[in-house]
Amino acid sequence: MARVMVLDPTATRTDDITSPGPDAGALAGKRIGFRLDNIWRSWDWISELWADKFRAAGARVSFWRCAGRSGEEGERMNRELKAFLETIDVAVVGLANCGSCTGWTIRDAITAANAGLPTTAIATKNFETFAHELAGRGGRSGLRVHVLPYPLNELARDEVMAIGEAHYQGVIETMGAHIAAKEAAE
Amino acid sequence: MTISLIKPSNRVAPAPKPLMSRDCGPAGCEVDWLTSRRHEADGDIEAFTDFSLKMGWGDGLPLVPPTDARVRAFLAQNDRYPDEVIAALPPTQVECTVEKIVINAVMAGAPPESLELLIAAVRAIAEPDFELYGVNATTAPVYPAFIVNGPIRDQLNIPYSYGCTGGAATKATAIGRALRLIMRNVAGQVPGVTSQTTFGSPGRIGGLLIGEWEERSPWAPLAERRGVSGNAVTSFGTMGTMNILDTTSQAASDFLEMIGKSLAYVGANCFSPSMPFCEMMVAINPICAEIIAREIPRIEDVQERLWRFASVPADLLQKRHREQLEAQGRVRKDGRIYATPEPKDMVMFVAGGLGGLHALGLHSFGSSLTQTKPIASPIPADKAQAAE
Repeated sequence: MARVMVLDPTATRTDDITSPGPDAGALAGKRIGFRLDNIWRSWDWISELWADKFRAAGARVSFWRCAGRSGEEGERMNRELKAFLETIDVAVVGLANCGSCTGWTIRDAITAANAGLPTTAIATKNFETFAHELAGRGGRSGLRVHVLPYPLNELARDEVMAIGEAHYQGVIETMGAHIAAKEAAE
Repeated sequence: MTISLIKPSNRVAPAPKPLMSRDCGPAGCEVDWLTSRRHEADGDIEAFTDFSLKMGWGDGLPLVPPTDARVRAFLAQNDRYPDEVIAALPPTQVECTVEKIVINAVMAGAPPESLELLIAAVRAIAEPDFELYGVNATTAPVYPAFIVNGPIRDQLNIPYSYGCTGGAATKATAIGRALRLIMRNVAGQVPGVTSQTTFGSPGRIGGLLIGEWEERSPWAPLAERRGVSGNAVTSFGTMGTMNILDTTSQAASDFLEMIGKSLAYVGANCFSPSMPFCEMMVAINPICAEIIAREIPRIEDVQERLWRFASVPADLLQKRHREQLEAQGRVRKDGRIYATPEPKDMVMFVAGGLGGLHALGLHSFGSSLTQTKPIASPIPADKAQAAE
């Protein structure tokens, strides 16, 4: 059969930031912001647990809960996110635990990282590869992603809290954060 | 919390822009306007289809090799420069040019006359309120359905009668498939890679592109009611088609009750706490539409009647589900949860065969809001150049 030349039907972006961005560094005195959603109670629980630990390490913690991403509500969410990012020094963004919510989590994490904040996205194991794929397609393949077990939201609160406890040191490392010896001992 | 109402935002997709000089016209340039990378492949359709799967371009069905000659011939029948950027499509936000639209249209076997419809459809799904980011990424089976209004329905033989959502043998299937290939190859909706869709949908292969049977509708055309007269396309992020049979009803209110109650099932996204709101699209067959309009002439009143039935009592839901919706303020004073925030969010049009009996329900993904765009009149390139 004759060989022909065909035109490529795909389009891909060529720009990419492979750096994970700045480390969170010492947590004492930092303002750490959690991005929550309206879906995953397990992420509410884990973020509360980690927030307590961040506070114990000398950080101040705030939360922003996103809602709809279209219509006037979507416009409001964009404004709120921008305002929220201006009030924090470090962003912890979750939860990538489904298709669209991984999309929105990574999109918001990229917004935070592009604002220059040390940023870590939180994903469950099943959505880890997907989170990295979307980060790359969003132009930040180096985005920090900390991975929690999957399934997560189907577990009881005490089981989720145990996972949060077990992953605290891991998320600190992913964030590039460190805790002073005194706080760590507490 | 209170009910989140659906109000369009002020955000708009960036205006299309040319990338290069327009001095010499789309068909009269010496320069090579086609900038896509060339690949060597077998010209045979079977071999090319295998090649396209290997390259990650295909959907598994046979594809026409998009050679320079085919792409140029398609362009030559239109008045569009190939480098014109139509939209940026998430998640990558890469620019979807006329060239990429045409290459995918050629592969799908879509006719050159469909280019302006394809462009309008791409513009519709690129609007921020369509929320293509979520539509592409989700575990849901959602895909954009397109409803076409205006004379272009007949010019392109887009079905609006028997078998309009599948089965009618027209090139509308190829046009729908072209949009699906654009979603896959430009927007990057690839299962297991950029789309987490758990089950997918047959609609993710051939798409869903149908007309409204305006001539048999007792109401103004859908696009006109949404502010666009004449040739227009309306995109709606649907979870798939739902058939609603009614062999018993006689009165308008009976039909609407049957349709409304059938639409309201608790596993629909419109009753999920993960979505702040949803729209609902419903196609009424011409026979039923006539009966309904005799009793309820105004479409707004029909929507209101349908809306009241498209709801569930909150206590139908399990406790944990109900509590989440209660916390979001979605249980109303009458103890019910409504599929959409307001009657206007029940998007209705007329289509289907004259056998009647059935209605078509298209459930929404949720955050994706319906968009309507005008379809430009195609001006053949030779006429456009003659005018210059």
